[in-house]
Amino acid sequence: MKPRRLALILLLGLALALPAGPVRAEETSLSAKEILDKIDDLYRGQASHGRMSMAITTAHWTRTLELEFWSQGKDKSLIRILAPTKEKGTATLRVGSDLWNYLPKVKRVIKLPSSMMSASWMGSHFTNNDLVKESRMAEDYTFEVSFQGRRRGEDLIEVTCLPKPEAAVVWGKVLVEVRLSDYQPLLLTYFDEVMKPARTMTFAEYKTLGGRLLPARMTIVPADKPEEKTVVEYQTIEFEPELAPEVFSLRNLQR
Amino acid sequence: MILRLAWRSIWRQKRRTLITVVSIGFGLALAVFFIAVAEGAYSQLIEQVVRLQAGHVTIENPAYRDAPAIDLRVDGVGRLRAEIEGLPKVEASKLLILGQGVARSGAGAVGVSLMGVEPAGEARTSPLSRNLVAGQYLAPEDDALVVIGRELAERLKLDLGRKLVLTTNDVSGQLKEELCRVKGVFATGSPEVDGYLVQAPLSFLGRLFGLPPDSATQVGLILKDSRDQDRVIKAINGLTKGRDLAVLPWPEVMPELAAYIRMDRGSNWIMQAILLFLIMFTIFNTILMSVLERSREFAVLLALGTAAGQVRRQIITETIYLGLIGCGAGLLVGGLASAAAQIWGINMSALMPEGVTISGFAVSPIFRAKLTWPILAWSGGLVFGATVLLGLIPTRRAVRVSMVDQLRG
Amino acid sequence: MAVWRYAWRNLWRNSRRSLITLAAVTLSTAVLMASYALMDGLFRHTIDNATNLVTGEVQVHAPGYLAERSLYQALADPAALLAAAQKAGLGAAARSFGYGLVSQGAKSAGALFWGVDPAVEARAFDLARHLERGRFLAEKPGRGLVVGRKLARSLGLDLGAEVVVVVQAADGSLGNDLYTVTGILKAAGEGLDRSAAFIHAADFEQLFVSGGRIHEVALNSRGRLPLDEVAALAARAAPGEEVKTWRALMPTLADMVNLFDVSMAIFGAIFFLAAGLGVMNTMLMSTYERIHEFGLLKALGATPWRIVRDVCLEALLLGLAATTAGTLLGLAGTWYLQAVGLNTGSLVGETTIAGVAFDPIWRAQFSLRAVVSSVATMWAICLLAALYPAAVAARLDPVRALNRV
Repeated sequence: MKPRRLALILLLGLALALPAGPVRAEETSLSAKEILDKIDDLYRGQASHGRMSMAITTAHWTRTLELEFWSQGKDKSLIRILAPTKEKGTATLRVGSDLWNYLPKVKRVIKLPSSMMSASWMGSHFTNNDLVKESRMAEDYTFEVSFQGRRRGEDLIEVTCLPKPEAAVVWGKVLVEVRLSDYQPLLLTYFDEVMKPARTMTFAEYKTLGGRLLPARMTIVPADKPEEKTVVEYQTIEFEPELAPEVFSLRNLQR
Repeated sequence: MILRLAWRSIWRQKRRTLITVVSIGFGLALAVFFIAVAEGAYSQLIEQVVRLQAGHVTIENPAYRDAPAIDLRVDGVGRLRAEIEGLPKVEASKLLILGQGVARSGAGAVGVSLMGVEPAGEARTSPLSRNLVAGQYLAPEDDALVVIGRELAERLKLDLGRKLVLTTNDVSGQLKEELCRVKGVFATGSPEVDGYLVQAPLSFLGRLFGLPPDSATQVGLILKDSRDQDRVIKAINGLTKGRDLAVLPWPEVMPELAAYIRMDRGSNWIMQAILLFLIMFTIFNTILMSVLERSREFAVLLALGTAAGQVRRQIITETIYLGLIGCGAGLLVGGLASAAAQIWGINMSALMPEGVTISGFAVSPIFRAKLTWPILAWSGGLVFGATVLLGLIPTRRAVRVSMVDQLRG
Repeated sequence: MAVWRYAWRNLWRNSRRSLITLAAVTLSTAVLMASYALMDGLFRHTIDNATNLVTGEVQVHAPGYLAERSLYQALADPAALLAAAQKAGLGAAARSFGYGLVSQGAKSAGALFWGVDPAVEARAFDLARHLERGRFLAEKPGRGLVVGRKLARSLGLDLGAEVVVVVQAADGSLGNDLYTVTGILKAAGEGLDRSAAFIHAADFEQLFVSGGRIHEVALNSRGRLPLDEVAALAARAAPGEEVKTWRALMPTLADMVNLFDVSMAIFGAIFFLAAGLGVMNTMLMSTYERIHEFGLLKALGATPWRIVRDVCLEALLLGLAATTAGTLLGLAGTWYLQAVGLNTGSLVGETTIAGVAFDPIWRAQFSLRAVVSSVATMWAICLLAALYPAAVAARLDPVRALNRV
C-alpha cells in the first residue's frame, strides 16, 4: 500500500471500520496485518460522497480549494472544485487507470497522458498518480508491529511496512502510527530507499462523520520543503449513498 | 629504344627527377592517408551508432517511421529472423522493442525512451555494454533489471540495485506500471543517450507494453560489411514480398548521421581537390621548367636528325616514368601510413581532450584508418593521369625550339 | 640600392624561368588565401546556422535556472540588459518559459511554453521563418500557437486546429485556455521538435499569471561581434546572472565545430606544405640551373657571401612581386567565393543536422589573418628555397661549377 494512497482512501471518505467507541483492553492484540487489512476491507465495496477543503501552502503561494467528491469501489472517483470562483466547476474524473480533467472556462475535457501521472494535482502535494493507482496494500507490503507504547503523550502502535521486492513502489519503508485506543491513524512517514524521510502525513481532528469516527484533518508535508504543506479538512461525508453509475461518466464530469 | 633512352635520361638529372617525384609522391601519399583516415572515422562512427540501434538494416511496421507508436509492430519475428539470418553477408540479427514512458524514483520522474533488447546478443555488440561505468550489463536470465545512463542515474538519484518504477501506456492504451532495479550504469558521452535511454530485457518490456508473443517493434540486422547493405535489402524485399513490412537502410533510420557524414565527406573532397590542384601545379611547373632547361639538349637531338615526334615521345615517356615512380612512391608511403593507422590507430585525445563526439554520438578517440583498394586505385590513377596530361602541354613547346638559337649559345 | 636593382635585373635575365617561378608563387599564395577564406567561411557558416535559429550567441538566465526551469527563477533586471543590447546594436529577445499540457480531443502531451515577442524574434533570429506550415505568431496577442514538428504529429495537429492549453499558473491556479495553431515548425532539434509551444508574451502572462517575469534573454549579433565581446557585454549589463555562450548551450554543435576546427587546421597545414613544396621545388630548380652562372661569378672573384646575398635578394624580390600579385588574385578569389560561393549541392545535397539546415552554398569569409599568414609563409619559403642551393653553389669549386652544363 502506498501511504499516500492510504491518505487518499481517507480523503475520499472511507472510514475505518473500527469500533466507534474506546477499545476495551482485551482488544489490544490486533496484528499489524489486521490493522491495515481493516482499512483495506473497509475501502472495498464502499461508496462515498462528501465535501472537504484543501489548503495548499507552497513557497510562492497559498490557496484554499473547496471540493465535492464522490467515489465508488476501488476505481471510480470524481472530484469537483466549488471554490474559488475562478476555478469553480473544474473537475477530475477517474475511471480505472484513466484520468480526465474538465475545464469550465473553456468547456473542454482533456485526458491526462501517462507522462503527467507524477505531476501534482491542482498544485497540491498529491500527484495524479495518487488518484489513479490501485490499492494493493496487502500485496505490496510486509508488515510488522515495531512499537507499542507511549509517544508524544499518546498511546500508540507503530507498524513498519516494508515493500515487497516486486511491488511497484519507490519507497524504502513506510511507518504507520495508529492510536492504541481506537486504531485511528496518527502519523504516516514514508522513506526513500536510503531510509531518509521523504514525506509525512499527520492526522488530527477525530470526529464522527457520516456515522464513522475518522480523522477529519490530514496534513502532508514534503521532507525537502518543510515550509510547504497541503491540509485537507473533511466537512461532510455520506457513506454508501445511492450513486447512479452515470455519476462517473464524462457527461457528468462536464456539469 | 625510347624506353631505355627515356629511363636513362631521367636519371641523368637526378635532382630534377627527385624533386618531381617527391612532389607527386608527397601529394598522393597525403591524399591517400587522409582519405583512408576519414573513411575509417566514418566507418567507426557508423558501426558504433548502428549497433546502438537496430543495425545496418531495420525491418519495421511501414507506418512506424512517420508516427512511432507501440502498437505499430512486427509480428512473426521468429520466422522472419530465421529467414534473414540465412542470407549471406548477415552477421547477426536482433529484436528491439521501443517505446516511451516515465521513469520514477523517490527523487522524481523523467520521461524516458525504453528499449527492450536480447541481452545475449546485445552484450557482445552494444556500445552500452562496452561503456559501463558501474554494475553489469543485462544477462539472458534477467527480468526486471535495467541499465540506465549516468545522467539519468544522477537526476533520479539512483544507484546500483535501486528501485525504479516504469510507467507507460501499453498497446491497448492502458496505464501500466512495473518495478525494476538498476543493474548497470553506462556513460557513452552522448547527453541524449545518457540522460534518456533505459535498456531492459525484451521479455520484460514486452510484458510491460502488453505485446503479443513473437512480436517486436523492430527486427535489425548487423552486416559483416556495411557496403553490402543494398544487396541484402533487395534480398530481404524478395523474401518478404507481400508482407506488410518496411525494410530500411540505416541512413533512413538515422538521417542525421547520414547527413553529417555526407557533409563532412563533401568538405573533405573539396579540400582534396584544392590539394590536388596545388600538387598538379607543382608537377606542371617542374616538368615545364625541366623541359625548358633542356632546350639545348633537344636542339642538339633535332640537329642530329631525330624526328620531332621521337623527341616528343621520349619526353612523354620520361613523364610517364616520373608519374609511375612518383605515384608508386606515393601509394607506397600513403598505403603504409594508412595501414599503420589502421592497425595501431591514431590517438586524437591530445587534440580533443574533452572526448570526441560527432553529431551527438561519442566515438572512441582512437581513429583507425580504413584503407581499401578503390582508394589506392582511384587516387593513384587520378594523379598519374593528371601528371601525364600535364606533361603533354610543355612537350609540344619543347620541340618547337629554334635549333639555331639554342645551339648558338 | 644598386644591389636591389642588380638583383631585379638578374631575375629578368632569364625571364622564362623567373616567370614560371613567379607564377608558382603567385598561384600558391592566391590558392592558400582563398582556401583559408573558404575554411573560415565554412566555420562561421556552421556556427551561424545554428545560433541564428533560436539559441543566439549568448544567453542570460538567473543562476541555476536551466536545471529546472522554475517559473519563479526569473531575471532580476531584464530591461537593463535589453537596453544595453540595443545600444550595442545587438539583437536581443526576452523570453518566458513554463511547463504545461497541450490537448486536442483525447490526446494530450506535455509541452514547454515559450512566451515570446514575435516582432523581436523575427528580427533577431530565424525561427520565425523556419516553418513547415503556416505562419509564426502575429504581432498582437490572439492566443495563437506555434508548435514543434513532433508535438504536432503526436497530437495530430493541423493549421487552425483548436487546442486546450492547461498549465500550473504562478499563483497556484490552473491556467487554461483555448489556442489556435497558426504554425508548425520545421525540424529544429529534438527538444524543440518534441515539446516546444510558442505563444505571445502577453498570452503567456495571462495564462501563467507570470507578472511579466522574464526567464531568458538571448543575444545575437549574427556574427558581427566576437563572441567574447557579446558575453562581456551581457555580464556587465546583468551582474549576478548566469551568462552562457552557445558553446555551453549546444555542446553537440560545439563538439562538431571543434572537430571541424581540428580537421581544418590539419588541412591548412597540409596546404602550406603542398604550396610550400611547390614553390620550393621551383626555386630549387631555378637556382640549381644557375650553378654554371654562379661558378662563373666565383671565378670572376665573387665571394661566397655575395652569391648567397644576391640569391637571397632575388628570392625576396620575386617573393614580393609574386605575393603582391598573389594577394590581388587571392582577394579576387575570396571576393568571388564570398559573394557567389561554392555550390556543393550536387556533392552534398540538402543537409539538416539537429534541425540546423546547412546551406549547400559555401561562402568564404575574408580575414586579415588569411592574407598575412599566406604571404608571410610564401616569403619565408622563397627565401629558404633559394638559400639552400645558393649556399651549396657558394661553396663550390668554380671549376666544377663551370663545367656543369
